[in-house]
Amino acid sequence: MTALPPPWIAPGVRLIEAGAVRGWADIAQRADAFEAEIRKGGPAVVHGDGVPTTVAALVAAERAGVELVLKRHAGSVAENATPVAVGGAAPGFAVLLETSGTTGVPKRVRHDFRRLCGRLRGTADPDARWLLTYEPVSFAGLQVILTALASGATLVSTPGATAADLVRAAVRHGVTHASGTPSFWRSFLLTLGAERPPLASITLGGEAADQPLLDRLASLFPTAKLRHIYASTEAGALFAVTDGRAGFPAAWLETGVDGVALRISDGVLEVNSPRAMLGYAGAEASSDVWLSTGDVVEVRGDRVLFAGRLDGRVNVGGIKVSPEAVEQVLLAVPGVQDALVQAAANPITGHILTASIVPAPGAEEAPLRAAIRDAAATLPPAARPRVLTLVERIPLGTAGKKKREGTA
Amino acid sequence: MTEPMLALIAEELARIAADKGETLPAIGPDTQFLGGDLPIDSLDLATLLVVLEQRTGKDPFRAGFIQFTTVGELAALYRLDTAVP
Repeated sequence: MTALPPPWIAPGVRLIEAGAVRGWADIAQRADAFEAEIRKGGPAVVHGDGVPTTVAALVAAERAGVELVLKRHAGSVAENATPVAVGGAAPGFAVLLETSGTTGVPKRVRHDFRRLCGRLRGTADPDARWLLTYEPVSFAGLQVILTALASGATLVSTPGATAADLVRAAVRHGVTHASGTPSFWRSFLLTLGAERPPLASITLGGEAADQPLLDRLASLFPTAKLRHIYASTEAGALFAVTDGRAGFPAAWLETGVDGVALRISDGVLEVNSPRAMLGYAGAEASSDVWLSTGDVVEVRGDRVLFAGRLDGRVNVGGIKVSPEAVEQVLLAVPGVQDALVQAAANPITGHILTASIVPAPGAEEAPLRAAIRDAAATLPPAARPRVLTLVERIPLGTAGKKKREGTA
Repeated sequence: MTEPMLALIAEELARIAADKGETLPAIGPDTQFLGGDLPIDSLDLATLLVVLEQRTGKDPFRAGFIQFTTVGELAALYRLDTAVP
């Protein structure tokens, strides 16, 4: 006997993963087994699994009334790491997600499950076929999964897929809705052949969308709704831009948008949002209603455009990396006297890191390059400097600091 | 024709693949970068564009993203581009 789905799953939902089609009955069966395990004292943990397993675990953990931990990689975060609460500490079912730390230590963030579901504006759309381009256990991935579940749509996922795999899946299953980072969409276009999926809705998020990419998507999929969304960890989902132009209208600085007030302070975008997190666990709610997004912006004509991060981090293929942190890794390599890591703008991945290296006296080039490559191999692929240039000295700026150019 | 550009792309792609311990199949104008023909990902392709700019002094992507899928299409972009002053 199969129980009815929870209110956040429409009964007609279909999950297509690696070619296999699963409906609510399959999810319920898995959820029953998982719930029994939890009630016997088993861990409520999902280890970067596929969509059907993740959904079944959400159902089971909610029924059993325990917190569910969604892990990207086994043991990547210290077990005793104190989770950060987003969306307040209201009682109820919560999930713990790992942030995508690159050079920093990944953190766990606690999300109130009801607020996660409540944030979705989905309406019933059983004919929609969604493509999952994110990891299922990431915040963005969970948003897509919950949207598809609530609308009774079909969700197509291919764990561990390359861009080429995703394009093939999108064509084969006639995908109509897809949400991804600008870097995903560039790879998607670079892989797209003559056959195109019937996209009706294209969403970009997670990094700034550039005009040439928006133009290309609009010309290839002229009937699709094209939008880029802006969100931040502390401030939550903020707004969507649907006019096909990069940045957002400068008029919103006066009028606000979607209940969110916006202002620029010292070149940095600040927001006053009803959807901001209520505070860190255990801390008093902040009395200052304006939150800094850490995003540097500039007003050009009637538009506000994004111009990089205040903390110097850059987006490489949808992943935020810190050139300075990577520089510290290189400086620790024997034979490196000085190093400068810079972000070069890149038409494929948004940015890419390059490094200039001053060899220590007597250091030979070939072993030095090998040692640097070994050190870089300990970093995530996006954080590895892709081009190494040996130089005699690093140019310094007027303040005596290394000049770190090209991060816009 | 863009033969020297094809050869340069093949040379630099081979170097990028060798750094990952991969070897490349023969590369022609119709070889697709990310379609599964080659053992490279989007970060490798991004790297290739940085190196090609260093080697040629040209950057056809100054204004941002341009769609291309094959080696021949990329080579043509450099052929049409004028050198950076």
